[in-house]
Amino acid sequence: MTALSSFLLAPQFLWFLLLIPVVVALYLLKLRRTEAVISSTMLWMKSLKDLTANAPFQRLRRNLLLLLQLIILILAIGALSRPFLKVEGMTGSHYCLVIDHSASMQTKEGNKTRLDLAKEKAIDLIDSLDSGDKVMVVAFAENAEVKIEMSDDTQRLRAAIRDIKPTDTRSNIRDVMMIAASLAPDNPDLPATIPDLQLILLSDGRLTDLDEVGARARDVTYHKIGEETFNVGIIGVRLRKNETDGAPAQTLVSVFNAHDEEIETTLTLYLNDSVIGVEEVSLNPQSTSDVVFEHPDFAEGVILVELDEEDALVLDNRAWMAIAPATTKKVLLVTEPNSSNAYYLKRALALNSEVELSEISPAAYQTTEQFELTIFDSYVPEVLPPGSSVFFNELPKLDGLVTTGSLESPPILSVERNHPVMRYLNPENVGITRTTTFSVPQGSKTLLTTRGSPLIADVSRDGRQLLVVGFNISESDWPLKLSFPIFVQNVVKWVPTRGTSHQQFIQAGTPIELLPDIERMDVRIETPTGETHAIRVEPSHPAYFGATSNVGIYSIGTGEEEYSVAANLTHAEESNIHPSDTLAFGRGTIKATQKPVRSTRELWPWFVLAALIVLQLEWWVYSRRAWI
Amino acid sequence: MTQHSSTSSILEPVFLNKLERLAILAKNVKPGVSKGERKSLRKGSSVDFADYRDYVQGDDLRHVDWNIYGRLESLYIKLFEEREDLTLHLLIDASESMKFGTPQKIHMAQQLAAALGYIALSGHERVAIEAFSDDSVQRITPCRGRGSVRKLFSFIESITAQGGTELEKSGKQYLARNRSRGVVVLLTDFFDEVGFEGIVQRLALSQSEVHVLHILSPEELDPTLAGDLKLIDSETKAFAEISMSGPLMKEYKKNVDGFMSSVRSFCVARGVGYVPIPSNSSIDTTVLQLLRRGGMVQ
Repeated sequence: MTALSSFLLAPQFLWFLLLIPVVVALYLLKLRRTEAVISSTMLWMKSLKDLTANAPFQRLRRNLLLLLQLIILILAIGALSRPFLKVEGMTGSHYCLVIDHSASMQTKEGNKTRLDLAKEKAIDLIDSLDSGDKVMVVAFAENAEVKIEMSDDTQRLRAAIRDIKPTDTRSNIRDVMMIAASLAPDNPDLPATIPDLQLILLSDGRLTDLDEVGARARDVTYHKIGEETFNVGIIGVRLRKNETDGAPAQTLVSVFNAHDEEIETTLTLYLNDSVIGVEEVSLNPQSTSDVVFEHPDFAEGVILVELDEEDALVLDNRAWMAIAPATTKKVLLVTEPNSSNAYYLKRALALNSEVELSEISPAAYQTTEQFELTIFDSYVPEVLPPGSSVFFNELPKLDGLVTTGSLESPPILSVERNHPVMRYLNPENVGITRTTTFSVPQGSKTLLTTRGSPLIADVSRDGRQLLVVGFNISESDWPLKLSFPIFVQNVVKWVPTRGTSHQQFIQAGTPIELLPDIERMDVRIETPTGETHAIRVEPSHPAYFGATSNVGIYSIGTGEEEYSVAANLTHAEESNIHPSDTLAFGRGTIKATQKPVRSTRELWPWFVLAALIVLQLEWWVYSRRAWI
Repeated sequence: MTQHSSTSSILEPVFLNKLERLAILAKNVKPGVSKGERKSLRKGSSVDFADYRDYVQGDDLRHVDWNIYGRLESLYIKLFEEREDLTLHLLIDASESMKFGTPQKIHMAQQLAAALGYIALSGHERVAIEAFSDDSVQRITPCRGRGSVRKLFSFIESITAQGGTELEKSGKQYLARNRSRGVVVLLTDFFDEVGFEGIVQRLALSQSEVHVLHILSPEELDPTLAGDLKLIDSETKAFAEISMSGPLMKEYKKNVDGFMSSVRSFCVARGVGYVPIPSNSSIDTTVLQLLRRGGMVQ
């Protein structure tokens, strides 16, 4: 049966061939003739002789009807067992079917979407497999997902392909290439690799990260899906608030016309479902136009931009922005008032408009939960505050954090530049008069190192972000250097903010960051499709909500507050639904395969046609037959 | 006339009455065995004057016309019409195949033989009759005169059709036995594997006037067979497996026509009268019209 399945889709119907003896038996039974005695057969014999004298294949003709009936039966069985021709000779026996299910694949091509077409084509390819061929199915959009591992179970493969659902995200093929690379024979890390792996890419070729693939590109057979080009889409939207109070705000919308003709359409701007602006847009073919709406400023709300165009891809006709009031970080500075340190720190903190600064002297300090960041200068409280803290010139009372002595003119030996706090800093030129040397507990990170001791260390623990600076900033020229305010800004940014995000929108498919609060919180997220997800966010560990493959508004409720995050497509490459004939990978250009779409051509209609013709012939022969 | 009632089983008395007005027509009268009621081509001793001729030595002086001698003083012999009888040879094919048809072909042959025999006997002709197949010959001695009607009819009635057909052999044997010339009438269906030409040829060469009455049944002329059949030849037992269809039927009818016309043309070419007779036609019509038209009776 396995050998038969290389040219028959339903070889089980071949059992019907057992009907052949039945037909023969019926034929023999049917031919029992009635005997009739007549005066003389002389004239009949002559007639028979005359009729059959010049007929070819006389022997054959004796049983021509039977032969024709058998041919009809065999043709019918042939049709039932669904024979097929391999139109396209495929080599190799391991295939990786890569199916694009990004936003542009939702483009309508007639009654079907491109994704439907790609799935049909994929199932055709599955149907064309030789016995022993194995296929894995990978669906990719923002991320790649292995729908089914290497398998030769065509039922499961088909089910896996049917299971692929559209997403509103862009398409990144990088992950696919990495999956392929992991299976490739040149991967030294894997003992079992697949030498003949063939990638079959079913996509419209609108991939957003082709330049990132680079050398990872593998041999790919690219099947171009779709032909439609009529689409206009919003590829960018931005709200610009005026600095001066009361001045109007501006919403900038970038609209892309993927079509080959000029399109005139209308762009409508809504704020919380009420229209605040309508603009006529004229879009040149294959180009982007920017539209600016001017409207009164507002503190918060949801902005919706809508294109009034029934085009092939509808999901880029709307874009949202969730505008939240600017949030502030509450910072407490515990230092001697009027000291130079207080001056330097306050100057640096004042650069950040989001910082809501309070100041208190060490004597008056009491542990409070109110602040997200407490900066202690030359002072350590008995009890650490629940939020984040930075200690200058003093060590908090922590296990393992021990003073080991002091060091004059400590040289700066190394900088941990990957730490968020040290980013964009260049502290090598800082001169320090004297520093306390200390050892840090396990799990801490040394951010700035001097001889035998850290100068700055991240000793975060128990959900608190804790930073220790071992020297007194007034005993150094650091406050005078550019790196100091940057360090302070980094610290403020590093400290998690409680409450509202500043994101106006995200791109569909990218995760929503759920910032931690001081306490554990349960977040409930309602997606645009109406699904509700519950996520627990631990203190000081931001959580990420990744199920954002649909565009629209995600409502997030933390119990204390409600806010919205908008997810948009806003991607020129996805809105440009022009199917690409080539894929420009790092190494070269891959052309869309010109081979026929269907790799198998089923032959059963021809069998049915042939059976009908033979049936006609049989009837004709039956009505004409005149032989003995 | 009293004989009619006793022979009515084969022919209706009314029909026999009609037959009495008819006579067997022989264009070339052949010498008969005994003097009969027929003018012979030979000049003879009847009362009908025919011609004169010069006297030659040895002529019967009783035939000299003395009145002519008295006037012309020359001897002339007076010639008279010769009257002689005619033998009607009735050859009936009594093979198995003649038993078929509705009515049976042999029945038609019997009726025709009876009718022709009656006509001949009524005209004081000799009638020789023989029914033959390949394995048997049924015959009676030739008879003459009205008194023989009963004998003839009872023989005709007793004829049974059986055995195969060997027309040529049977004809040859008959000719050997019956040298008297006359009118030969062959009643047959010509279903002979060997062919019909032999007997027709032989009869034509026998210096008799030959008529062929080709009797075919309506089933043979226009068969009503249908379906898948195994046709068995009644005589040879050979069989033909056929599946009836339009083209086959057409071909068969073509062959029947061809068969009849080939017999006809063969006969005509040899001066043999040919009359095809369907076995279901009425004996009245056949004798009074077909045979008349065919130049057999008048």
